[in-house]
Amino acid sequence: MKLQFDRGTILITDPPPNVDLAHAPGALWDARVRAHRAPAIHYHALKSWLAQAGVGVVDLARAPRPRPEAWSDVGLRPYQQAALSAWELGDHRGIVALPTGSGKTRVALAAIKLTKLGALCLVPTRVLLDQWLREISAVYQDAVGCYGDGIHEVAPLMVATFESAYRHMHLLGDRFDLLIVDEVHHFGGGLRDEALEMSLAVARLGLTATPPRDAAVVARLTELIGPTVFELAVADLTGGFLASFDAITLYLDLSGDERSAYASLSAVFIGAYVAFRQTAPAAAWSDFARAAAGTTDGRRALAAWRQARRLLAFTRAKRQALRSLLGHHRHARVLIFTADNDTAYAIAREHLVMPLTCDIGRRERDAVLERFRQGTIRTLVSARVLNEGIDVPDADVAVIVGAALGEREHVQRVGRLLRPGEGKRAIVYDLVSRDTIEVGQARRRRKGLVARASAQL
Amino acid sequence: MLPGPLLNYSVVGNTLVPHFLGEHDHPWLRVLLEEHERFVGQPQRALDARLQEPLPCESPPTKRKQAVHVLSWLRPSPRKTAVVPARAREMVFAEAARTATAAAAVLSSVAASLGVSAGDLQDSLFADLPGERLVAAPPSPLSPAELALRTNLAIARALLFRATAVTIEADGNARTLVRHSKLRGLICTVAGRTCRADFVLELSGPFALFRHTRLYGHALGELVPLLAWCRRFRLRAECVVEGRRLTLALGTGDPIFPADEPRRYDSRLEERFARDFRRVAPDWDVLREPEPVPVGDALIFPDFALHHRRDAGRRWLLEIVGFWTADYLARKLLQYRSAHLSNLILCIDEDRSCTAGDLPAGALVVRFRRRVDAAAVLRLLG
Repeated sequence: MKLQFDRGTILITDPPPNVDLAHAPGALWDARVRAHRAPAIHYHALKSWLAQAGVGVVDLARAPRPRPEAWSDVGLRPYQQAALSAWELGDHRGIVALPTGSGKTRVALAAIKLTKLGALCLVPTRVLLDQWLREISAVYQDAVGCYGDGIHEVAPLMVATFESAYRHMHLLGDRFDLLIVDEVHHFGGGLRDEALEMSLAVARLGLTATPPRDAAVVARLTELIGPTVFELAVADLTGGFLASFDAITLYLDLSGDERSAYASLSAVFIGAYVAFRQTAPAAAWSDFARAAAGTTDGRRALAAWRQARRLLAFTRAKRQALRSLLGHHRHARVLIFTADNDTAYAIAREHLVMPLTCDIGRRERDAVLERFRQGTIRTLVSARVLNEGIDVPDADVAVIVGAALGEREHVQRVGRLLRPGEGKRAIVYDLVSRDTIEVGQARRRRKGLVARASAQL
Repeated sequence: MLPGPLLNYSVVGNTLVPHFLGEHDHPWLRVLLEEHERFVGQPQRALDARLQEPLPCESPPTKRKQAVHVLSWLRPSPRKTAVVPARAREMVFAEAARTATAAAAVLSSVAASLGVSAGDLQDSLFADLPGERLVAAPPSPLSPAELALRTNLAIARALLFRATAVTIEADGNARTLVRHSKLRGLICTVAGRTCRADFVLELSGPFALFRHTRLYGHALGELVPLLAWCRRFRLRAECVVEGRRLTLALGTGDPIFPADEPRRYDSRLEERFARDFRRVAPDWDVLREPEPVPVGDALIFPDFALHHRRDAGRRWLLEIVGFWTADYLARKLLQYRSAHLSNLILCIDEDRSCTAGDLPAGALVVRFRRRVDAAAVLRLLG
């Protein structure tokens, strides 16, 4: 009997007549090719099942794979070592949840070195792709493969974006035994999960600062990667391995005309939204948006909601507060976070501070981060680019002018400041418009910063 | 790809009925194109802001957004600026960080060092951002009818992006469809021939066995513009839309923008043979890409059919086996042997060194070097 990797699946051909493959893990009869087929993720379970059934197998599924061996020392802090040990004890499967800035990538590099397995590291963005390549190159002396951003270079140790992995796992799935997924919370409920099912890798490590809590997502991630084997929150490491910080919420008033515009827009939106919730109490926001798009009143409500958000994004009071804060912290390194790119550009023009958005090219972005590191520029403003993963040089102050994505985004933004320094105490200002939807949003997003579990250090 | 919220369709039973744009949409499409033209040379954000508002004539909101989205695929051109924007940003933001002066003073000081005005410098600062780029005219004038067809193509592709498997009944252009499917990693099985069609193809990907995946939606969607080159076609796609399993049907005459015409010949060798044979055999018709021949679950595509004009019984299939690997040649010959064709001419490159035993029984063989001798083929036909 032969096992072959076929575009993200295992094709099982020439089975002996006495073996019933109907009970083999993941296998189904594929009438199109007249053979049984299983998703690649079941490869090892399938081999074990066949071995137990005493079936001899010609295994053609695994592509030839040299091991990545040219490592120098990967030093770990005690909590990173604890995370690695937990993953080892979990049979080389599972998720490690550590706060932003605490060195998750380091744990991954140590895992690759420890297992000596060919590894594919998946990252959500091109920015992170570059960053992983840099971090790997610092401790690994051989060529590192790269799949994404128009580059297709395969090597025993390789980094790819989620999008490239989704599009090309049918070609790559048989080449690696260890799958590392950065920001793994992006998986578990989406279409891209299939990329993880199309890989033969049995060893799997997920990294995140914000592990999902939804039961269905957790169950799916457990199938795809493994359970959460180690978890620390920001509060578990601040004051020691992460800098301490003060979170200050500034409640600001709308001006008279802003208040009256906000009240009218809210009335239009709330009227339609309350009516919808009465008919569908359990419906999600996306259900409302879909239903609203089909009626004139609904479209008006959605337009009012968007206008209200635009109004709150950068009110006069926020503008004034930001001016004062930038003046007060003139000599500090400051990160300004906005809800959208338009606000980021408005702030950039008004205060002559550098925006980092998806529109700024990679080369310029890298140069900007280097200048920020050197101190020739001291303030950056961004909507999303600085949220996740990207290794921002040491900063002392964050001003959150607007937020769009809740608790997870907030934890990641605050994490940008937590690189420890001698006597460092970072400050996070959260600008919130009083008596608006922002008050509840701010309260909810702060929940992500409280301690989750005690570290075994 | 047209985003999900812009998709406009009805569901009748389990059938997905796309709301294509038609002639009745041309008046407002013309107004939209005029608005677009009015903004050529202006920043993209000005056009975006204008198109957020209604047109001066009645237009269905979702269809208008679809057409605007298709128009947005015309790439705006970068603006000419006094200072390269990235350079302007580098200097201005560094100077702003260095001094405690007001923004206007920073701009003046940097502008003076660069020998430009403060206004020009400010104008350069973000001139390369997408919203600041200049609206470009289409490469060739776009009519309302063409914009409607292009929008319909976008709708059909966006729906097929949600497809898990597709069945196509068609006449002609099978080779292009099969080639595309193979290139894109799809499994293409032949479900035989019907009274309505030369061939029936079933297309999906390996992973579609396990769930209704969208992994192959892109590849399946790319088939749509190719179908326009079939003499007739019917496509049925199994789609998953908002969690529901629905069927999409497309067919000949649907108002969809076609792809460029597929290449008529795969190689200069084939093109030269067709030209030579027409010249030496005026009593014969040369048909490029005749109907495919089913062999088990596969199809084979002879390169040509040769028909005698006055004797319908004299019809030959001709395959040119040229510059290929030994493996490919062996598979090809095996397929032809299995097909048991009694009217096959094989033109074999002498360098391929086939022995008589490799060749299908009964096939007529013409060996060639560099160029297929059309006169030798004609002699074989008698």
